[in-house]
Amino acid sequence: MDAKGALWKGSIRFGLFAVPVKLHTAARESRVHFHLLHKTDGERLHQVMVCGLDDRPVPPEEQVKGYEVAEGRYVLVEPEELAALDPEPSRAIEVREFVPGAQVDPFLIDHVYTLLPDGGYGFGELLAALDETGMAGICAWTMRKRAYVGCLEARGGSLRLAALRHADEVVGASTLGLAQLPVTEKELRIGCDLIGMLAAPFSPQKYQDEHQRRLKELIQAKADGQAPVLQRPRVLHPTPPDGLMAALEASLRKVA
Amino acid sequence: MAGPGIWSGTISFSLVAIPVRLVRGVSSGRVSFHLLHAGDYARLARRMYCPKEDALVPPEEIVRGFELPSGRCLPVTEEELESVSPERSRTIEILEFVDADAIDPLYRNRPYYLVPLKGGEKAYRLLAEAMSRTGKAGLARLVLAEREHLVAVSSREGALALTTLHYAEELVPVASPDAEPGKPDEGLKEAMKASILGMEARFDPARHADERRRKLLALLERKAAESVYVQAPPAEEETAGPPDLMAALEEAMAQMRGSR
Repeated sequence: MDAKGALWKGSIRFGLFAVPVKLHTAARESRVHFHLLHKTDGERLHQVMVCGLDDRPVPPEEQVKGYEVAEGRYVLVEPEELAALDPEPSRAIEVREFVPGAQVDPFLIDHVYTLLPDGGYGFGELLAALDETGMAGICAWTMRKRAYVGCLEARGGSLRLAALRHADEVVGASTLGLAQLPVTEKELRIGCDLIGMLAAPFSPQKYQDEHQRRLKELIQAKADGQAPVLQRPRVLHPTPPDGLMAALEASLRKVA
Repeated sequence: MAGPGIWSGTISFSLVAIPVRLVRGVSSGRVSFHLLHAGDYARLARRMYCPKEDALVPPEEIVRGFELPSGRCLPVTEEELESVSPERSRTIEILEFVDADAIDPLYRNRPYYLVPLKGGEKAYRLLAEAMSRTGKAGLARLVLAEREHLVAVSSREGALALTTLHYAEELVPVASPDAEPGKPDEGLKEAMKASILGMEARFDPARHADERRRKLLALLERKAAESVYVQAPPAEEETAGPPDLMAALEEAMAQMRGSR
């Protein structure tokens, strides 16, 4: 994959320091692309916006944005009013504060960018300083008319900038309505033992996307006129609550 | 309240199987607008349109089509998709546990929660507690619609969190910094460390609020207060389409697109 083109360039600012950097996307999702088709004639479908009154498609120039303030009542918003809220463009990545890296909740991380030096100096020193202190810089920057808050940290020998979500966008576990059922110490001990026996180092390169390969094979076979062999998904029988201990003990024997 | 489930099935480790459903771990904080028809301000709805028949198409007549090298689109049904990885479409099988801290944030893709279904509450709690105690996360695979994900299952605030991960092959290789030959300048590094520690604080995400959202909501409230709004005509049931059909279409499209 060609990693030459930087997504954006900026300058990390804190105290008296300004470190020029280039931002690169850290990961790309690869997916097999699909379209939506009409089952009856195989025609590719288009998405349209349809008027609720007459069921007819409405072109973009006849569409306006409205914010619902009460039932059926909308405040209209002009594109200029939205544009007026855009942040001023800037190349500065302003560090507001440094926090211990462990305090940043992983659920807040939206997108990670890898940073490279962009001339100037201070990059290697910043990387080493963050690595040695274990601190993360909470920064603000604007990129492509959008304001970001992010977390600057050193990990695995590289400098990263993780764009963060806002606190209220994270779903709290307490909202899930989970019953906190008690678990016996014995069950817990066996559970922990089992986990220990199934422990391994984190080696992500072990895992490849086999599904995509098999999906492409299915598509090709179907295109060649072969009917795909339909297989029902495997369904596991849930362990009943009173069978949990037995399942744990059987697992221990199996794994040992 | 947990939102509608995206997937349901069983999560397992060794011989313990827990019935669960998947719900989103994050929700968008974006201010959402509706699209209205200029003039009569009727609310607009997203529909799929067939150019050949010059007609709108209901959800049950829609199928995924994968593009072949020739440009032709091949329809693939839900059952055929489930047949690609039948052992993984309805089960998340944890085959190994790793240190939760060892998972580099670079690999993180999207966060979800698992919620236990009836009968699975006890085993669910056991797994969450045991992973919390051991500081480990389970690695497994999950098939969602037409994609298979590598996932990490971990304990979070008493619940099971599931995070989809990028495959190693999806990470973009970036050339190592070449403009910094030799070791870092010690003096500069120490000066930076002093500055870093001088700016130390306790992380409080609420302090970094979404300024734009606040300003936008203030603008909208001001306009509403000044009675600068329009009234949309009431939607007629038969032309707008029954609400559950529209909801089903939205859900089907969201699932097909694999949207967050």
